[in-house]
Amino acid sequence: MDQALIRNFSIVAHIDHGKSTLADRLLQVSGAISERDLKEQVLDDMDLERERGITIKASAVTIDMNVDGRTYMFNLIDTPGHVDFHYEVDRALAACDGALLVVDATQGVQAQTVANAYAAVNNNLEIIPVINKIDLPSAAPEDAAIEIEHVLGISADNVQFVSAKSGVGIGDLIRAIVRHLPPPKGEPNGPLQALIFDSEYNDYRGVICYLRIVNGTIRKGQRVLLMGRQRTYLVTELGKFRPQMSPCDELAAGETGYVVASIKRLQDVTVGDTITDAGQPALQPLPGYQPPQHMVFCDFYPSSGESYDALREALEKLSLNDASFSFAPQHSDALGPGFRCGFLGLLHMDIVQERLERECGVSVVQTAPSVTYEVVPHDGPVRRVESAGDLPDMGMIAELREPIIETQIITPADAIGSIMQLAEQRRGVYRKTEYLSPQRVLLTYEFPFNEILYDFYDKLKSVTRGYGTMDYHVIGYRAGDLVKLDILVNGVPVDALSLICHRSKAEARGRRFLIKLRREIARHQFEIALQAAIGSKVIARETIKPFRKNVTAKCYGGDVTRKRKLLEKQKAGKKRMKTIGRVDIPQKAFMTVLEPED
Amino acid sequence: MTTPTACRSLYAHVPFCRSLCGYCDFYSQVLDDAWVTPYVEAVLRELAGYAARRPLDLDTIYVGGGTPTVLPAGELERLLSGLRRYAPDDAALEFTVEANPATITDEIAAVLAAAGVNRVSIGAQSFDPAELRTLERTHAPGHVIEAVDQCRRLGVRRISLDLIFGIPGQTLESWWRSLAAAVAIAPEHLSCYSLTYEPGTPLCTRLNAGQVQRVDEDLEADMYEAALDVLPTAGLAHYEISNFARPGAECRHNLRTWHNEPYLGVGPAAAGYIDAVRYTNVADTAAYVAAVAENRSPWHQHERLSAEGRARETAMLALRLTRGIDCRSFAERHGQDPAVLFGAAIERHTRDGLLAVDDASIRLTRAGLLVADTVIADFLCVR
Repeated sequence: MDQALIRNFSIVAHIDHGKSTLADRLLQVSGAISERDLKEQVLDDMDLERERGITIKASAVTIDMNVDGRTYMFNLIDTPGHVDFHYEVDRALAACDGALLVVDATQGVQAQTVANAYAAVNNNLEIIPVINKIDLPSAAPEDAAIEIEHVLGISADNVQFVSAKSGVGIGDLIRAIVRHLPPPKGEPNGPLQALIFDSEYNDYRGVICYLRIVNGTIRKGQRVLLMGRQRTYLVTELGKFRPQMSPCDELAAGETGYVVASIKRLQDVTVGDTITDAGQPALQPLPGYQPPQHMVFCDFYPSSGESYDALREALEKLSLNDASFSFAPQHSDALGPGFRCGFLGLLHMDIVQERLERECGVSVVQTAPSVTYEVVPHDGPVRRVESAGDLPDMGMIAELREPIIETQIITPADAIGSIMQLAEQRRGVYRKTEYLSPQRVLLTYEFPFNEILYDFYDKLKSVTRGYGTMDYHVIGYRAGDLVKLDILVNGVPVDALSLICHRSKAEARGRRFLIKLRREIARHQFEIALQAAIGSKVIARETIKPFRKNVTAKCYGGDVTRKRKLLEKQKAGKKRMKTIGRVDIPQKAFMTVLEPED
Repeated sequence: MTTPTACRSLYAHVPFCRSLCGYCDFYSQVLDDAWVTPYVEAVLRELAGYAARRPLDLDTIYVGGGTPTVLPAGELERLLSGLRRYAPDDAALEFTVEANPATITDEIAAVLAAAGVNRVSIGAQSFDPAELRTLERTHAPGHVIEAVDQCRRLGVRRISLDLIFGIPGQTLESWWRSLAAAVAIAPEHLSCYSLTYEPGTPLCTRLNAGQVQRVDEDLEADMYEAALDVLPTAGLAHYEISNFARPGAECRHNLRTWHNEPYLGVGPAAAGYIDAVRYTNVADTAAYVAAVAENRSPWHQHERLSAEGRARETAMLALRLTRGIDCRSFAERHGQDPAVLFGAAIERHTRDGLLAVDDASIRLTRAGLLVADTVIADFLCVR
């Protein structure tokens, strides 16, 4: 196909600004799906995505678009909208030549609009701003266009005004795509270089790789080399998503599509790797990308009644189609054998946990999430730890560093005061304020990542009456006055409850935590001391008084079986608890650190 | 198949009340005259069915509910005399009927006496009018005294009273007053129950909704200890966790249960223990009547106990008694030395001062009585 007739582009947007609706509308206009089939968000194929209204995995669709008498090939690469999945956005953008930046006409530029626009600019993409939902009564399309120009520095000349839902303005948008987005450049007859920008696992075909052909041509039956892994495979199937998988014989430079090559495990493919011809390989691979950084860690332990093996099998199954989380065996003195899991972010963690329950039927006990810290020992190399339990003795540590994020917050101007107060509580460092309009501002802050891990976003939503949005990315590690806070139950430290926090927060945090813990642990026959300590210094204490009375008042002929079963249940309930010293701690107690701070 | 063994104790359940109390979870319904006759016929028919297959040599009969005394006099008479037919020896029989103080009329008291009832258990619950209202009891404190007088006048030899402590709003002082009022009546037997919030009862719903407050655990313990301290000084010896009696006036029927001996249960929701099987009848009067009329078993559930299960239940029940587990009779019955079978539990709880052990018996200490469930649970399960 003539490269001049190809357009590879992504649609990027803040969540709920209508990205997927626009993608579906383009599919419908091209005839790839009928108006009747235009169910909501064809491109999101996981139940969970549709329920949460977000796209998790990127997908790629090829459509034939008739524009002014000529047939163009649009390769539309969908991207996730949530901050946790920046990594996947970057991957998708690397396969594109242009991007449609969708902004909701009723909401204007939001935090992820900014982040996505920057990502597109960094990938040297041509951008068409698209103001969507112009048919809504509260739409202010001109204001949104001004914000785009003002904040993002993108000329308002090319702005397209559309309603993806009703179809208004879509014809003009399609012509703008043809006119303003560049066709791919690349040599169809040169040595093959194809970028793997995504992969997924299919029960029947094995691993399916999503490709952007940069140079050369890939053909069915060809023996190819994965340059990073240095392994060769035979191409058994090639094709395009239209949006169903539609096989073809070859894909040439500038095109996108998929390849199936008897690759058994998702782990055998590195997304970002370059595919080339095994016989005549390219001289060098395409620039790849950094592997995803796991920013958030937590442990999963089998819940009562679940087995460790069932949990392991479920994690293995999930990792078949989500290569972006990691898991490794972990043993807790308190909770027994389980897994340490790494995630791209908190939402990603929630999604994995939910999929475990929904798709695998396995329920887990999840410990509080933690970020990774850098430990600088007095001697020896710097290393990263993912939980307080992994810290070496504090005496060995010269410096403890925590991850720092840069955060963009877009908020109504009247909430600035509240946000500054909130930021101060979270050790935020103010960077700058930019006015989008007299009513709306873009605030830039730096925060220690762990300060926003739990409930910052909820708090932000509440102080901005729901209007505030945020986006963040990690900018590096910084030394902090961090301490390990140990929790002791009757003098015994409980590894699964210890945490790392800033010294200034340790006492308040410990105090609040002990109060919550006290509510979770039942009275015993003896007094129980709960303590929070930094090293050998106890900074907070709570006491659980012993119970005085635990006796069934009535037990007569009619009750014997029931009373016996109650006692057996009471006893069995204790078995499911974790006994530390002589104290029975219910599993829920291990989750109390997760509850919002109040 | 085990040969049917002889049975010497009978429980009959009367599933009717004038009104239902919010704390009670025994099966009962508001009295519906249409169901009384079919109910009485079904009970007697069910009992006749058992009697056809095994010797019944009753020396304890216990009629509970519900409120047996709410039955019309004629039907009550028919029920009581029908049950008594299986007790060959009047002199040896303990025949108990539970009564609500507000329902004992002269007519009913006469029926009880004429039927040979020699023990009446009266649900006094409290002598504080406000506490009675909290429990949704319809009687006044004065009714208890009148009811006891009526029974005594007609020759009922043994009176038992029930009291409840831990009632929302109750104080240690008001509990003392109720204990004193009960002692003043000079009952032969007294039961003191801490209020239990049974799941599914209206009271439990109100508790969960925050409409009533549970009394403080320490106060409840103080109340229990008050009963343990004061009642023996009034001649009522403590013999089971919640029960006190003049020496020789212990409830023989309930001792059968605590000694883990067989008993029959008849009537809707009644439970029985025969041939190593524990069964419970269906808790629905209509379904019960229909089953018996059609010669179907009214059993709703049953469980056959293993030898070890029986041994553990013997221990669980015996520990409720102040005499505790009698080591010799336990060994004779179950073929195992309890000191060995329950060695780990005994060691742990003896060390904590909750159990007292010697060659003859294993029993709860005063401290152990207050946390009996903690101790007993360890006799039920192997950890």
